[in-house]
Amino acid sequence: MEPEPAVLESLRNAVAAMPDDVPLRLHLAALLLRAGQRDEAVRHLGAVLQRDPGNAEALGMLTAPAPAAGPHPSAAADAPVSPERTSPAPSDPASAPRVADAAGAVAGGSGPAGDGLSVADVSGAPGTPGAPGTPGTPGTPGASGPGGAEPDEEDVTANYDWSQAEDELRDVLPTMFVDDAGSTSAGIEEARAYDAERAGLTLADVAGMTEVKARLEAAFLAPMRNPELRKLYGKSLRGGLLLYGPPGCGKTFVARAVAGELGARFITVSFADLVDMFVGRSERNIHELFEVARRNAPCVLFLDEVDAIGQKRSQLRNTPMRSAVNQLLLELDDVASDNTGVFLLAATNHPWDVDSALRRPGRFDRTLLVLPPDGPAREGVFRYHLRERPVAGIDLARLAKLTDGYSGADIAHICETAAERALLDSVRRGEPRLIGQADLEAAVGEVRPSLGTWFDTARNVALFANEGGAYDDLVAYLRKRRLI
Amino acid sequence: MTELSQELARAATMLDLGRYDEASSLLARVVSTEPGSSRAWCLFARAHLGADRYQTAVEAANRAAAIEPTEEWPHRLASNALMHLGNHAEALRAANESRRLASSYWQTHVCVAQAALAASQPALAASAAAEARRLAPNEPDVHFLSGKVALARGDLEAAREHQERALALDPTHSGAMNELGRIRLRRHDTAGAIRHFISAARATPGEHIYSRNIDVVILRTVSRMIYVFVLVALILLWVPAVAHVDKFPFALGFGVLAAGMAAAFAVMLARLPAEARRLVRRTLRTRRVATALAVAVGGVAVAFAAVAFVPSSELPQTLPVAVILTIAARIAATARLRSPIGRNQQGAPAGSGRPAAPSGSRPPGSPVGSDQPGSEVTGR
Repeated sequence: MEPEPAVLESLRNAVAAMPDDVPLRLHLAALLLRAGQRDEAVRHLGAVLQRDPGNAEALGMLTAPAPAAGPHPSAAADAPVSPERTSPAPSDPASAPRVADAAGAVAGGSGPAGDGLSVADVSGAPGTPGAPGTPGTPGTPGASGPGGAEPDEEDVTANYDWSQAEDELRDVLPTMFVDDAGSTSAGIEEARAYDAERAGLTLADVAGMTEVKARLEAAFLAPMRNPELRKLYGKSLRGGLLLYGPPGCGKTFVARAVAGELGARFITVSFADLVDMFVGRSERNIHELFEVARRNAPCVLFLDEVDAIGQKRSQLRNTPMRSAVNQLLLELDDVASDNTGVFLLAATNHPWDVDSALRRPGRFDRTLLVLPPDGPAREGVFRYHLRERPVAGIDLARLAKLTDGYSGADIAHICETAAERALLDSVRRGEPRLIGQADLEAAVGEVRPSLGTWFDTARNVALFANEGGAYDDLVAYLRKRRLI
Repeated sequence: MTELSQELARAATMLDLGRYDEASSLLARVVSTEPGSSRAWCLFARAHLGADRYQTAVEAANRAAAIEPTEEWPHRLASNALMHLGNHAEALRAANESRRLASSYWQTHVCVAQAALAASQPALAASAAAEARRLAPNEPDVHFLSGKVALARGDLEAAREHQERALALDPTHSGAMNELGRIRLRRHDTAGAIRHFISAARATPGEHIYSRNIDVVILRTVSRMIYVFVLVALILLWVPAVAHVDKFPFALGFGVLAAGMAAAFAVMLARLPAEARRLVRRTLRTRRVATALAVAVGGVAVAFAAVAFVPSSELPQTLPVAVILTIAARIAATARLRSPIGRNQQGAPAGSGRPAAPSGSRPPGSPVGSDQPGSEVTGR
């Protein structure tokens, strides 16, 4: 059954609102393919592959044969022209690159492209203009005429040997970063501090954030590691640690590193898990979660986005959610009383929305502010996000300087934008090129720091809601940055 | 639980938690696979509403209404979105339709009251609010809206009572605190208004309207002080012409005027809470306020000097120039105060307009009890 236009429109809106939602894009692409709007579908699949190179479903859809009949030709003609297709037709048809959207996206997005190899070459000979069986208009690249592009796309993905091309190009690529001393992986481990997850992390893997590490050590790790001293000084292990700070700045990673430091298992409960808990018997679900944690002791139980589950009960009129908060309080008290080796960590962007009952002594009574990355950390984040892209001559120190106040997620977006720039330029020029410093600096100009809204709210908290000095560290930071 | 109802429950939870984009994403998938589900379209409309995508919200609500014509929720959703789009007539029509379909449901009356208020029909709004109060006397949002309606009708005492009742029912209702601030402001009690705005900002720091309102009040106060200063200066300028006083007493008069204004401001400042005093100090240090004050004081000083230092014989020619200079200084200073500055200290766009009334006590679009249709009625 062909999907309704209104449904497609709704999905387009949703994709526009959530451009990084890969499953949603895949779903839209599948419906577009079903509706015969292959051009647009291919554009979305290209975007998917940019975000998730090697996504099997996207590749599968790209390589799937186009429908032989149906509304496809007219639909394709009606479909919006993708940015990759907006380049003017070159005057010389012989040099005209014939780039399928998907091929372009894959070539620019995931694999290194090299000198002297035009996109026309990458697209593969079978798809070149005038090739037998290609009914499209020869010499008019980008034309989305009926049946013109699709056979090329199939041929590209079916016949082209990407691995061989990458192997051929590997040796001719220039140095990635201007400060490289032979190694292309230096700093990557540090960079993972912000957005990668792996087992066995420790705080040594966290780049920068010296202050956070010091406070973490004093408030949480030192008492955990020294049971004798703890007993001597009568230091209780009751309660957990609440990490808070702007989004995209490494709270989750810090939590993983803490688990690594303690040599404990790490159980993370994400927002999606929390939502699933609310669907059905939430109290039982929460109880089971804590039971699992107790069975796996010693372990760190990490509640990500705890404001979702621990939202102020006054703000919750939905009874199941209110009872979920009550159940959480009950479980926290249980963990605290018998101290079974379940270390509680939680993270939130909005600690002021967390129910005050959750922050009472014995629960999440210690807080730690995780701020945007400092200079060395930003360098690491750039290095991490550029490590698998075709880049050359990148001055990381300068980029780090330009991105003061950006979050790790913002920096990821900058790298994404720079890659997109280089990709589109490659398509326009007809030959691939590497991502350069200019691309990244232009992307820095385009991408605004996303933390403004958070700091607006944080300012309100600092000015009006810092009761009992709960946010003194935040106030100090805002004062230092002259934000209040 | 079927898969559809599970997905809808998941989406409703996300909406309850204010995660509109995630909910939109989930619901986009749901409506594409289950386009006949009215509830899915309603939730989808609500997600768009929360994410400020009003046109799409109207479309989704209309889809839901087409599937389930006897259901009132889609009409309320459409009304809400249409209000945001400025289409008040259609918003009121949709609200009336929802009330026709479920007149025993207090949310539909609240919806009508909101739409009527937006459509500048306070009498209709008042009758709808009264009916909502009759149906749900213990619902804080009903009293909150009733207070807004009363304020729009100029009945400050009734407005205060309703907002205080809302606060009695929900002590964290920051929207009611903000409304109390607006009522105080209408009574020219600046310090009291700021106190209420601060309480609202403290209760809901994520809502930037409250801190913006504090800013607006401070700027309005500065603007009024400049006005009074210039007005008194204009009167004083005539003194040499009428009383033939010497330069020194005249200059002294200017000094006393300036000092008097500063003292009045200091007294007002002393009545404010510490947080507000910090904000005022910061506001006075901003470039636009400092410039406005400098222009006003400087302009008046030059006018006084011109009058004081010219020979008495030239006073008839100089006095009009001094008066024009003083008025020009006031106009320039006020224009500077009203100039757009992008973001204020709290980060919200600050104009010099009236303190705004947020829709409720929670962050914008943050719903209440969204599991039940119509929980978005007050926009809380």
